[in-house]
Amino acid sequence: MMAKHLSIIAEKEFRSLLSERTILLAILLQLFVALFSSFLMVGLTSMYDPSSLSKYSRFKYNVGYAGNESDLSRYLYASPDFRVFQMDLSTGVTALKERKLAAVIWVPDTAPDADAPIKVTLYTLQNDLQSAIVDVKLKDIFLRYEKDLREIRIDRLNEKPLPLRFPPASGGGDFYEFVYGLLIPLLIFMPAIIASALVIDLITEEYQHDTLETLVSTPVTFPEMVWGKVLACEILVPVQAAVWLVLLMINGIAIENAGLILLHVTISSFVLVLLGALTALHYRERTAAQFIFSTALVVVILFALSLPANPMNLLTRLAVGTAGAEQWAVLAAVLAVAGLLGYATQKYTERISRISHTG
Amino acid sequence: MGALADITTIARWEVKKSFSMMSRDVLPLAIVLFVLLVAVTGFSTQTGLHLQDGMYRIGVDDPTMAQILAEDARFTVFQLPERDLIAQRGEFDILIINGYAYTGTASRSVAARKTLERDYAKYVGSVYNREEDLFAAYPLWIDTQSVKSELSFLATQSGQYVSAAPVRAALVPEGPVEQIATPSPTLSVTKEDLRGQLVQSNVENTQISRYTETLSSSTGTMDTFKTPSQLSPPLPFDSIILVFVFIFPLYFTSQFFMMSIMNERIERKGEILLSAPVKTASIIIGKMRPYLMGMLAICTALTLWIRASPLIILPLVPVIFFFLANALLIGMLSRSFKELSFISIFFSTVATSYLFFPSIFANVHVISLISPLTLIVLTLQGTAWTVTDYLYSTSLFWLTSAVLFYIAARNFKEERLFSEKGLVTRMREFLSEILSRKHPFLSLFLLTGFSIPFVFMVQMMCLVLFFNLPMPASLVFLLLFAALIEETAKGIGIYTVYIRDPGFLTWKNLILASGATAIGFLVGEKLLLFVTLAQISDSVFGSILFLSLGSLWLPLLLHFAGVLIVACCIKKWGAKGFVPGLALAMVVHCLYNLYFILGWFL
Repeated sequence: MMAKHLSIIAEKEFRSLLSERTILLAILLQLFVALFSSFLMVGLTSMYDPSSLSKYSRFKYNVGYAGNESDLSRYLYASPDFRVFQMDLSTGVTALKERKLAAVIWVPDTAPDADAPIKVTLYTLQNDLQSAIVDVKLKDIFLRYEKDLREIRIDRLNEKPLPLRFPPASGGGDFYEFVYGLLIPLLIFMPAIIASALVIDLITEEYQHDTLETLVSTPVTFPEMVWGKVLACEILVPVQAAVWLVLLMINGIAIENAGLILLHVTISSFVLVLLGALTALHYRERTAAQFIFSTALVVVILFALSLPANPMNLLTRLAVGTAGAEQWAVLAAVLAVAGLLGYATQKYTERISRISHTG
Repeated sequence: MGALADITTIARWEVKKSFSMMSRDVLPLAIVLFVLLVAVTGFSTQTGLHLQDGMYRIGVDDPTMAQILAEDARFTVFQLPERDLIAQRGEFDILIINGYAYTGTASRSVAARKTLERDYAKYVGSVYNREEDLFAAYPLWIDTQSVKSELSFLATQSGQYVSAAPVRAALVPEGPVEQIATPSPTLSVTKEDLRGQLVQSNVENTQISRYTETLSSSTGTMDTFKTPSQLSPPLPFDSIILVFVFIFPLYFTSQFFMMSIMNERIERKGEILLSAPVKTASIIIGKMRPYLMGMLAICTALTLWIRASPLIILPLVPVIFFFLANALLIGMLSRSFKELSFISIFFSTVATSYLFFPSIFANVHVISLISPLTLIVLTLQGTAWTVTDYLYSTSLFWLTSAVLFYIAARNFKEERLFSEKGLVTRMREFLSEILSRKHPFLSLFLLTGFSIPFVFMVQMMCLVLFFNLPMPASLVFLLLFAALIEETAKGIGIYTVYIRDPGFLTWKNLILASGATAIGFLVGEKLLLFVTLAQISDSVFGSILFLSLGSLWLPLLLHFAGVLIVACCIKKWGAKGFVPGLALAMVVHCLYNLYFILGWFL
């Protein structure tokens, strides 16, 4: 096998990728996925925890209080988030419908130490953003009231949970697991998936457009041609992954062991690209190859994810800096699989070219 | 009758062709893979997904606590005597000594603390759930009642911004006071039912819901009785997962359709079909029918399998058509497999996020109805929806699919299918085909009018993208891009006409074309608002439309000015003038928006 021939094939594929500008779409796609998922996360969190949106924290919401006096009303009056109006239930609900109140609370006359629970009725507007915010703010007050009531009824409990006290909260940390435990492995692995889909297209295209004979009539052998295509796709992976890492770092997300992450993703992606190449060589037709490959991909990734210390988990641990020596064992295992697939690809391509020469 | 017979024949060919190709050795392997998939899914639900294992290191002195924490794979737990823990404190994100958690300020430590708090709350919950006297452990129950407000709909309809901020108003209701029955002070559910619900919401917190528990401690318990800690808007998580189960097969099947169209174009294989004495519409429908039937069959089978209401299929139909229309066009447009792959992956990602994103808010906000999937989530939850809801959420999909099918049908012929030109040129040619030469102004009017649903979809995506930028930047970008998208949609028709026939753009024609485009855009915009807003309250709708008619001339003038700028630039500098013209029109549009909508001027 000649390195020069490999690079000729790889270069040809790069040129056509550039001229079609499809690679731009691929990059745009990844950008979209990244932006979209963080939009989802930030948007959802601000919805469920409105304190993260400072805009809503300075408002006082009007709530109607109906029914009997309780400690709950004391908490509500003391809260900086609410303006409380004592009123009759029917008036309150009508005012709520006219959006003059954000919520109406009705409290029964159940005694705090009664056998039965205290059932508070909370009226809010259906399908309304304001209700969502008010719900979250009221939740804090209800939780405090629940704690008081639990304290009153504590003698009736059989078992006490192990105590654990926390220092005062400093806030933040909501997105850490999302960024390191989902976004980073996803972004780093996506180039690998794209590359393996690409190699199928490159190989089946030669078959379906009948350009294979022209290509093999040049000094380039069939195995060299396949390896050149594999190489072209494989090179794209660490380049894209590195761009992601740099972009994330520019965004203020500290990533440890960036070099090791690139090493791991390059080797793992080799497995996927070779799997893609083998599928394409077997079917020689895009629809079938892509279908079988993408189904197989789901199976492989799902299976890998169910194993502890899988390559994707390793990316997370490397990025946060808690990966231990086990990473080398995983790397060796992945490398062994890649080597095996590489050997299979070499043998398979040699066989195909022998058959086509004799036949 | 002839057309129907043609369609059936072509459909039969299509099935035969794809089966002869598939059956070789795809089918056996596909079955094996499917069995493997089921097995692996079962395996992973047992072992859980190990993506976040070992993110944090935690040091604990108490063995019982260590055991509790070890259940969460995110923690690597070290159980050591207090002395050793303090000596090696730099190694840990959190130390737990004598029932007190010591945390650091590093971001990993802060995140670990959040996780620990949630795990601890879950543990405490599991202890309380076992209490014999459940109402001593959970003394407070909240009965949540939703009230429907007509007022907010009226306000949004008249273009008023209903903010999440409270109103400062006198607290006397204006309308008549409706009598509300005093709620009963007792729970209508037995203690053991409540316990079951508590246990379930505690157990549900598995690997997947880890992402959602950042948001709410309970997953979609739709019962009205809640403990205070369950009082967050429920995330319909299970339903959303199910929605994916429905969308993925659709995506796969549309891929086959796309590929079948593409295959006809490789080496001009489809030439024979085109030369047959059959209408193009029959060819397209015939080729599409097996896939349409397949998709419907898959959806029906899935619905039966999960034992859901057959109503689910109704909102899926426009989605199926949307996927098929796009698949057809993508198959006709792309030149190579690479292009096909990337365009189709790009399309499906964007479409899936457009479908998926609003449905998360299914229980929170009316806006969630812009996605048909929300209706599916609602059906799965057992919430009813109306015919107008259906029209509201599916109209965009029906419209865009119809437009795309029309474009594809007009272009399904030899010179378009087998051309080797670039993607952008081909897109322009496709547009050019639907612009009539006899009635250029009418077709410009229609083209712009029908571009509105696409403009809305693209603008919606921009909103999503720019949301991530810091505040002033996101607003500026949104303004600029919204204007650019609208101007492009308006300018593209005239540009296409010019490229086809440069002599067409005399000054008189230029003014007429701009006028037709501007009116088309305005009418499309208003019609779409009609469809989307009419569902909210039909009665008041009419008055609103006519109310705003008084100010219709202003947007019309804006649209006209925008197109005119682009048209003049094209006339002056030819095709090269298109981009500068768009830029100029965008600036004018932005200034208008700043002045009239935001009410301030630079």
